[in-house]
Amino acid sequence: MERQEIMRRFAEAAGNPLSYARAWKERTGRKVIGSFPMNFPGELAHAAGALPMILQETDDPITAGHGVLFPFYCGFTRSMVDQAMRGEFDVLDAIMFGDHCVQLLGAADGIRMHLTKTRVIFFQLISSMCDPWTQGRSEESFAKLRAELEDFIGEAVADDAMHASIRLFNRNRALIRKLYDMRKKGTAPLGAIEMQHVVKSSMIMDKAEHTDLLQQLVAQFEGAKATPNRAVRLHLSGHFCQAPKPELLEMIEECGVVVVGDDLYHGFRYISTDVPEEGPPVSALARWYMDRNTGVPCPTRVQNNVDWDAYLLDAIRDERADGMIVLMAKFCEPHMYYYPEVKEAFEKAGVPHLLIETEHEGMALESLKTRVETFVEIVKRREAA
Amino acid sequence: MNIAVPPMEDKKANKLKSTRIAGKLVNDYWEMVWRAKEEGKLICWYEGSAINPFLEAADICWVHGEAYSAMLAARHQEETAQRVAEERGYMRELCSYARTHLGCAVSNQRLRGDNSGATPDDDDLTWKLPAPDMIISAYAYCSTGQQWDEMTSRVFGKKVPIFNVSLPWIWASKPDAGYLRGHEWHETSDYVARQLYDMVKFIEEQTGKPYPWDRLRAMMADIKRASELRLEAMDLCTAQPAPASFFDWVVSIAPINNLPVAGVKDYFETVLAEVKQRVASGEGAVPDEKYRLFFDGIMNWNKVGWLANKFARYDAAVVAGRYTHMAFWQEPDLIDPKNPVLGMAQNYLICPNNHAAPILIELIMGLCRKFQVDGMVIHASRTCRAFTNPQFMIAEAAQRQLGIPSSMFEGDVTDESFYKDELLNSRVEAMLEAIESRRMAVA
Ligand code: SF4
Ligand code: SF4
Repeated sequence: MERQEIMRRFAEAAGNPLSYARAWKERTGRKVIGSFPMNFPGELAHAAGALPMILQETDDPITAGHGVLFPFYCGFTRSMVDQAMRGEFDVLDAIMFGDHCVQLLGAADGIRMHLTKTRVIFFQLISSMCDPWTQGRSEESFAKLRAELEDFIGEAVADDAMHASIRLFNRNRALIRKLYDMRKKGTAPLGAIEMQHVVKSSMIMDKAEHTDLLQQLVAQFEGAKATPNRAVRLHLSGHFCQAPKPELLEMIEECGVVVVGDDLYHGFRYISTDVPEEGPPVSALARWYMDRNTGVPCPTRVQNNVDWDAYLLDAIRDERADGMIVLMAKFCEPHMYYYPEVKEAFEKAGVPHLLIETEHEGMALESLKTRVETFVEIVKRREAA
Repeated sequence: MNIAVPPMEDKKANKLKSTRIAGKLVNDYWEMVWRAKEEGKLICWYEGSAINPFLEAADICWVHGEAYSAMLAARHQEETAQRVAEERGYMRELCSYARTHLGCAVSNQRLRGDNSGATPDDDDLTWKLPAPDMIISAYAYCSTGQQWDEMTSRVFGKKVPIFNVSLPWIWASKPDAGYLRGHEWHETSDYVARQLYDMVKFIEEQTGKPYPWDRLRAMMADIKRASELRLEAMDLCTAQPAPASFFDWVVSIAPINNLPVAGVKDYFETVLAEVKQRVASGEGAVPDEKYRLFFDGIMNWNKVGWLANKFARYDAAVVAGRYTHMAFWQEPDLIDPKNPVLGMAQNYLICPNNHAAPILIELIMGLCRKFQVDGMVIHASRTCRAFTNPQFMIAEAAQRQLGIPSSMFEGDVTDESFYKDELLNSRVEAMLEAIESRRMAVA
């Protein structure tokens, strides 16, 4: 398949996840399980024969959701509740989540209260990552999820099926990581929006179908020469539960920027870490959960022996990026907590960065553009000096 | 009757006299904290759950983060800390308890830590908080609490040992689930108790001494008794007029939650005696009780006395609240002083947020019935989303299940700039009018 056609299919699923789910359900007659970000092991639901999909913020203005959550909540949680209240989640047979950012809990409670026919399953993941019991407790949580899932599906999920799902998901992640690597080297000149479509569609689409398309996409870049690019190389950081809006990414690139790396959830964070393929699957998932946070530290977890700021500085060195744009979703508390650490570390290391607060509705792109342009000029001048 | 006329300016809340003792106890506690370093004591910072008896028994000076922020706000001295935090990049939308406290941590580091140089001003309570020798994080429900502790540790260069206790949220979806019952409740209680035993090992490592279990047991016997006295006094407020108000119970939070255990039983004995005497003489917490209200939400610490008087002027007795009546050693029956750890774990799991909405709402409706309230005031605290999470659902349930109106106002725990007086006035007036018309319809 042509690159354009593959990208079109990815963009379509990314742009309209629930329609994809509806069509898939019609086609297969199987169950669709929605999950909240960011640590839900899709492998488990896949092994149970369902379509796991990570629920996405939409562009729609908040209407019905106003009666459930206050306006001073992050756009992701407000959009979740709004979609639920407007009946958009009817296609979902269940919603599952294991993370407990305080705003997410508000959304979950609101959704359970209003979607009385949808089963909402919660398995709390321990967020303190370096305790002697973190692995054990994570295993208990994933085992609980497995049991809930089995109860919901009405049959046991075999270890073999889980191993097969783990292998498939690993393959999918490895292919996307390969694209990341190629983009860094300049052999796969994928723009920020295209990269988002690749990752976001992987959160939604049937894994086998997605992996097949990915394979074809990667093959098209294999052996390509690096295309020289004179734009300023930047790393994009932040945005956890929601994908940054494409128009924002477009605006940034229009200012003479090439994005060479990111740690967005709708980006490298999602595919950074594989699940071990050997051993009991539940232990493997727990291992994955812990490895993930040492791989790409997440501000929603606490882990005294890893530093997100140090990780970011390393990533920037590795990507040969000239600076970083931080995208912070308004009202996202975990991000607000960590930002001063990042800011201090970057100032100390002399690496320029720009903070952009993003909003669910009414972002003033024009004035943001002026700020990005000024930032790009600063980075260029610094490079020239 | 038209409620919307400006209320009588000279009416004031008839506060319990005995709560003045709390003021003195609080001052003594902070003086003790400020002296602790000189006295060679180890200092532990913690927020959220009342793990202080574990520390006090081991002779460790316990510093409760929210209590410090609340104290600064109550004394209108929170601004410096909030400014310092903002200068370091902590944004205004972050939990203001945490922001204020982190401002203190940053100041402390600057003025007394490794980069000392500047001369601190002795009256400025921002820097005066002694630096921690250890941090214990045990926050129920709110992820913000755990992150706040982690950031504190980072402000101190990660040189201070930190111990995390994870307190799971009670989601209660199984058929056997409910308040204090079901498999999930018991499994979670055991999990937390196990961590508390590990926390004790951590404390032993810090002090280098075996843990004095006997002292903890004695303290928990006192706390259990104090809690019973507090609940008995609160229950007496079903009387009409109510002898004490939500605001009196707000002032009594520090004694039950974080003051030295020795004075706590006496304090609540005195409070209970006064409440009993008021019931006997028919004396009310507001001069003319016409309305009885429930308060949902965390306190506005800059505004305690001010809000108490405001409601008194409306002849409204705020008789109970989620913050005061559903937390702070709320279930003394669960505490076995001979073997207190499990009961302590369970009380930590019963913070006013840690049960999912269906259970919370059931408990709140129960309180509204018990105290025969006519309406509900809801404080939507801008930066404490733990409390605001279920508030629309609570308001809806109050209307649907009890037929009582509610009024929401925006404010905050310790950041006064989020508070809007006009809005509170007009909404409370509208609610009181709704109560009046309901009464007329019934009559
Ligand atoms: S982590 Fe941030 S974006 Fe995600 S639910 Fe929490 S506040 Fe919202
Ligand atoms: S947001 Fe509220 S519950 Fe959470 S840490 Fe702050 S004050 Fe505590």
